[in-house]
Amino acid sequence: MNTSEGSTEVTFNNRDPVYLQVVRHFKERIATGQLSAGQVIPSRRELGALMKINPNTVQKAYKEMEEQQLIITEGNSPSRITNDTELLNQIRSELLGEAVSAFVASVRKIDVPIEELLQLVRSKYQEGGPEHD
Amino acid sequence: MIEVKDIRKRYRRRDVLNGVSFTAAKGEITCLIGVNGAGKSTILKAIMGLTPISGGSIHIDEQSLRPQLYEKIAFVPDHLTMPSGMKLSEAIKFMADFYDSWNNARARELMQFFRLNYSDKIGSLSKGTAAKFNLLLGLGQDSDYLLMDEPFSGIDLFSREAIANVFTSDLIEGRGVLLTTHEIGELEHLIDKAVLLQDGKVSRAFNCEEMRYEEGKSVIDVMREVYRA
Repeated sequence: MNTSEGSTEVTFNNRDPVYLQVVRHFKERIATGQLSAGQVIPSRRELGALMKINPNTVQKAYKEMEEQQLIITEGNSPSRITNDTELLNQIRSELLGEAVSAFVASVRKIDVPIEELLQLVRSKYQEGGPEHD
Repeated sequence: MIEVKDIRKRYRRRDVLNGVSFTAAKGEITCLIGVNGAGKSTILKAIMGLTPISGGSIHIDEQSLRPQLYEKIAFVPDHLTMPSGMKLSEAIKFMADFYDSWNNARARELMQFFRLNYSDKIGSLSKGTAAKFNLLLGLGQDSDYLLMDEPFSGIDLFSREAIANVFTSDLIEGRGVLLTTHEIGELEHLIDKAVLLQDGKVSRAFNCEEMRYEEGKSVIDVMREVYRA
């Protein structure tokens, strides 16, 4: 299925609700442009088979994404990513914001001068490369 | 819904089941978990009417057990029960003759899905292949419920993967599945509900996603709490 290349590569952790991990996976793919506005996404059954998870869990993830207006399902046609580009742009800032907050919270305990920290971040980030996942 | 209420069974002066209650809903995958000898298979056999119980009740869609109900439930025991001299094609014919609910089109689909050969003999199948064919005999019935006893036990990785794929396919969709296992492994993300058995009783029963959401625990985490305590 060409619309979902890479979907099979997800490794789920066992302790967070799987449906929220699925939602997050979609958000990451939107933020990085792998999924774009209006694009058709796999059916619930297809995604369950691809990700090897319970179809009820996929159903729950899609319901959550519908509530967040990330995807639209009209009648019997397949679900699509919303065309609301403003909302899609927000996702990138949302994911970045969350990641940075978590990082800052854990690093603050070490009480490091911000200049030293920024330098560390810069060198780590560059050596990790863009493919780091 | 399969509703098991306070069932008891004494066997060789031991309380194998000591008041077991749980439910398994249609459209959901419910997993009975317990160490060897915890009574998992006995519960499935009791639901199938294959072993007498000494107390409690079992209802399926609010009806008490009677022979007609068994067209609604398919049972996959932990080993193939067909005679070893039979060819797979003959075993399928046997099932078609025996069960009104047999679905030949689905059986053909499954033969392909599992890459099985009609001309092979039951007795010559490897353990993994036998497990696949065993599952086929259960899935080939148009039943509302499917009981499986240790479908993943003692078979190779690739056969386990092939069987796990059944759980995310339309072969299961809409049915109620009740399976037993002593190790959760690849089932962690496949099951809706876990029922943990200990000392002939249900020690925990929970929805797996709710457990992760509310307590941040995986099924294995809860198993550790229960069985290592």
